[in-house]
Amino acid sequence: MISDLIRHDQITRKWTVVLLLSILVCSIPTQIHSQIQRFPKPEFESGHVVPTPTTPHPRQDIYEYIDVAVLIIALSTASYLALKKRSRNGIFMLSLFSLLYFGSWRKGCVCAIGSIQNISLALFDRTYVIPITVIAFFTIPLLFTLFFGRTFCAAVCPLGAIQDVVILKPVKVAAWLQKVLGFIPHIYLGLAVLLAAYGADFIICRYDPFVGLFRFDASFLMLLFGAVLLIGGIFVARPYCRFLCPYGLILNWISRLSKHHVTITPTDCIQCRLCEDSCPFGAILPPTPEKAPEARSVEHKRLAILLALLPVLIIGGACLGSLLHTPLSQIHNTVQLAERVRLEELGKIQDTVIESETFQQSGKPVEQLYGEAALIKNRFIKGSTYLGGFIGLVFGTTLIGLSIRRKRRDYTPDRGTCLSCGRCFAYCPVGKKESKEDEK
Amino acid sequence: MKKENDKKIDRRQFFRSGTRTAVIVGLGGLTAHAANQATAKDTVWQIDPNLCVQCEQCAENCVLSPSAVKCVHIYDMCGYCDLCSGYFEPNTDELNTGAENQLCPTSAITRTFIEDPYFKYDIDEEKCIGCGKCVKGCGAFGNGSLQLQVRHDRCVNCNQCAIAIACPADAFRRVPADHPYLLRGYDI
Amino acid sequence: MNQKSEETRDRKKFGYQIARSVAVVSGIFMLIFSILVLANYFQTKTTDPLNSPALETLMGQMEERPDDQALKEQIRALDLLARKAYFTTQWQIRTGGYLIFGSFIVFIVSLRIMGHMKSKLPVVGEKPVNVWESAGLTRKRMAITGFSMAIISILIVILSHSELEEIQFRIDEVMDEAGLTDSAYPNDEILRQNWPGFRGPYGTGIASFDNVPTEWDGPSGQNVLWKTEIPLHGMNSPIRWDNRLFVSGADETRRQVYCYDTDTSEMLWQRDVLDVPGSTDEIPEVSYDTGYAAPTMTTDGERVFAIFANGDLVCFDFEGNQIWAISLGIPQNIYGYSSSLIIYQNRLIVLFDQETGGYLYAFNTQSGRMEWQTSRENMMTWASPICVNTGNRFEIIINANPAVASYDPSTGRVLWSIEGMTVDAAPSVAYADGWAYAVNEYAFLWAIKLEDPPQIGWENIDYLSEISSPVANEKFLFVATSYGDLICFDAKTGDRYWVESFDHGFYSSPILVQDKVYVMDYEGVMQICYADVEYRPISHLELGEASFCIPAFDDNRIFIRGDTHLYCIGHEDE
Repeated sequence: MISDLIRHDQITRKWTVVLLLSILVCSIPTQIHSQIQRFPKPEFESGHVVPTPTTPHPRQDIYEYIDVAVLIIALSTASYLALKKRSRNGIFMLSLFSLLYFGSWRKGCVCAIGSIQNISLALFDRTYVIPITVIAFFTIPLLFTLFFGRTFCAAVCPLGAIQDVVILKPVKVAAWLQKVLGFIPHIYLGLAVLLAAYGADFIICRYDPFVGLFRFDASFLMLLFGAVLLIGGIFVARPYCRFLCPYGLILNWISRLSKHHVTITPTDCIQCRLCEDSCPFGAILPPTPEKAPEARSVEHKRLAILLALLPVLIIGGACLGSLLHTPLSQIHNTVQLAERVRLEELGKIQDTVIESETFQQSGKPVEQLYGEAALIKNRFIKGSTYLGGFIGLVFGTTLIGLSIRRKRRDYTPDRGTCLSCGRCFAYCPVGKKESKEDEK
Repeated sequence: MKKENDKKIDRRQFFRSGTRTAVIVGLGGLTAHAANQATAKDTVWQIDPNLCVQCEQCAENCVLSPSAVKCVHIYDMCGYCDLCSGYFEPNTDELNTGAENQLCPTSAITRTFIEDPYFKYDIDEEKCIGCGKCVKGCGAFGNGSLQLQVRHDRCVNCNQCAIAIACPADAFRRVPADHPYLLRGYDI
Repeated sequence: MNQKSEETRDRKKFGYQIARSVAVVSGIFMLIFSILVLANYFQTKTTDPLNSPALETLMGQMEERPDDQALKEQIRALDLLARKAYFTTQWQIRTGGYLIFGSFIVFIVSLRIMGHMKSKLPVVGEKPVNVWESAGLTRKRMAITGFSMAIISILIVILSHSELEEIQFRIDEVMDEAGLTDSAYPNDEILRQNWPGFRGPYGTGIASFDNVPTEWDGPSGQNVLWKTEIPLHGMNSPIRWDNRLFVSGADETRRQVYCYDTDTSEMLWQRDVLDVPGSTDEIPEVSYDTGYAAPTMTTDGERVFAIFANGDLVCFDFEGNQIWAISLGIPQNIYGYSSSLIIYQNRLIVLFDQETGGYLYAFNTQSGRMEWQTSRENMMTWASPICVNTGNRFEIIINANPAVASYDPSTGRVLWSIEGMTVDAAPSVAYADGWAYAVNEYAFLWAIKLEDPPQIGWENIDYLSEISSPVANEKFLFVATSYGDLICFDAKTGDRYWVESFDHGFYSSPILVQDKVYVMDYEGVMQICYADVEYRPISHLELGEASFCIPAFDDNRIFIRGDTHLYCIGHEDE
């Protein structure tokens, strides 16, 4: 009986609400932004207190500053361990610490590698507000490299550390292949800067292979890429650092100018050749042979030709780059959307996608979309021309660099590609002898 | 011979230190330029509910699974309706918590009776996948008290938010970390 | 000695074997878990449990047979299963991931130990590498790579295709249509022919019209061309674009915008502001002096914009169609929100200062999309932003407590800020000839010279306005106080030329029309005098009702909003 009553009551109530709703639905104009306070806030008799939504706070700013402090301390320690202490074990332990701190604890973001894009965006988009800690993450490793070489790569970068741990059976990559693969970071860096500057995408972050492992969650492809690089990294030492990393490329340039740099021998090289194969990264330059392979005149002629070719390469690259502006600009969301909407408008595509539907619903005039897309495309014409010119320049200078003969008598680390990891220290008998003497 | 070599090294070192100084100056300039628009506070990602169209991309594109985007209930704006259009399937005719009536695919909304005729709706964030089905329902027929937000206890604050790139309404933007939520019609 | 080394060797061998078995076991573990997780992943990829077709079919049947209990049970069971499957799979993948990771670590560590146990001595090769020969080879291969890269990019160029080429071709036109070029916005000349917002073009209170009436009488109707009642009350001032006049009005629950024909007094349209996303029924707290519609509207010549005391921001086109609307939330402002809107190019600038957590916003005039927001660490502000060209850039300058600050209208970034202003601000900034003037009663009158960096050129504390905004030209600065004084300063030195006292105070702001100053007291009496080193009155004209607003100017005409009526004043004899 009572349950019947309740049921009856419920049904009446339900119908009232349904009726009310249907009246409301009919009276609502068909606009997407039509939320209003349709139902009044209830006045509770039971004393129910209306809860407030929880708003958990993001990571506190102070931690970001602590990260910067840890970065500086880690870089100083790494430089000390590599240059002064010459301790491979120390460097390895520090890289484990960095892996845990910057990788697992800090979850990878923002890292120095990714900060390239924030800096580019800040330089090109005046509305972008850049946290000062991101600038610090970009600048501080560069400054350290300028004075001590790539100690950042050796022991501070978590991406480097995770690859360093798995180097077990490094194979020697042929010198020419290393050079050719080493060209990839130039393209990657150029693309990353271009796409970030014009607000298209942060590709370095999107295709970061290891950040997924640090935070233990990522898309399948990201994890797959990471797994492939790690397994490959058992044989080809640090594949990401050598053949992809755009920040590593900047450090490579800067490291060539470094004030101090690690040396294989603490004093004089005795040419024992023991360290010859010690570097898994192929960064040890052997002494040059006594005999020149070609006559001087041949070399000079080649160099002259290449020097003359340099402007041609730059201009050719720039031309090719400017032609590439269409596919490059289509990476930008706005251009993509404009293309899509245009296709639909022309009737070349019948169905719609969520992006174009949302655009149609927003009521934004289509001219504005096209105008914005045209603006972005125009910027890309300029940007991709610069990118092409840059690639041409790098290509030309690489060829020139390969044609300049510079004599070397000792085994020396290649300042650009040497990661200051300290693996070669153990191979040098001079160092051994000295440290033993020290112990005595 | 040796002298010549030394000279060469000297020259190289001179060149190197000169370039190094130039790089330091350049780096300083670059940093200063970027610092021009720098902020001491961090920035975080957030959804602008005014632009959000509840397309369900948030559930699928976050690097975390389930997504760091969750439905937030602003009780202050809620009508505590019996027939909640954010809770029930559009054609529901029996207002009970049966699975056939629920809009939420993971049953993440709990419905509690407060007093006649009011019901309270709570979001269980452990279950919420951020698809926004309830947000759409509430926005279309209700007060719009359900809104999608990036929850900062979960969000790892990627440098480039993967959902932001996928968002068709361009509703994601970076906001100062000290005001990390953008709730429509409600001030925190 | 020998025995010892043999022992170590044995131990090493044993350790090596153990490490090897551990490596093998962990490797197998890793492989198995990887396969399991992958299988799991692909299974969820192919059959998403949350969008199971079986469940959808059942739900479809449910619509046909809503009372079928068995069907309901079936749905419930299936739904539970699906949800369980979803969360279990997630748990499995996660746990699997940890296990793979764990075994990977063990694998790597044991391999490292193996390597350590069986460390080989470095082998010296026969002959060192001939770097020069290898350089030649590298050069060749490099050239081949470069060549193939060029070929690939040409292929990409050929294969790429854009539907926007034709649009790109007429880019200037498209950009113009989209309002993305400077020519798409009304230029200085057009702005000066109109009265687009609070205190006219740029918000500086300067009108450049000829033949503006200097004689009228409200009560007798002399020179009053027309007079009409405004439905809802509002403290906002009229704005004018060509022959359309816009005002807004509001009470506790209603918010309205009106459009009048300036020639006929006919109301062309009247619109209620409805359907504002996020707007609530909550009634904002306002004082009588402020009311619910204090902020003056603004227009870009195509659309008009209005904001109300409850934070509802709305855009109408000239035909009265609501284009977009946003609620900014109820401002925490004890006397009621009153900052007027202003436009820079395609950005609608909204100053939304509150007790805590205020913002300066810029919205896209076409879409209502927020272009930027800058947080303001200010107290409440009733003043309005002005947006002026200070030589080689436009600046938004705002008078507020505790700082007078300038913002870049394109980005919202702070350009400069001078701290030390006290008392919550109501008067807006005056600007002329590279000088900005900010004043607050019980605080200061600052004349800020906009050098780099801007600094206070002179200061005055004797005559300060409370509500009325000052106005300036190259020579003079006029300040009207709420106790009825009108003061004329030398704009550059701060010397006081004259002070004139009137019977009633000024809430409305003085406007400079060519060489004349127009300022209306709160009883509706317009005081007109020459802008000169001596006080030379022209006329004192009664409106016949109280007025707190700033008139809208036109060639030959003035539009005044009284307490309840809208007046058009001109020259009757013409």
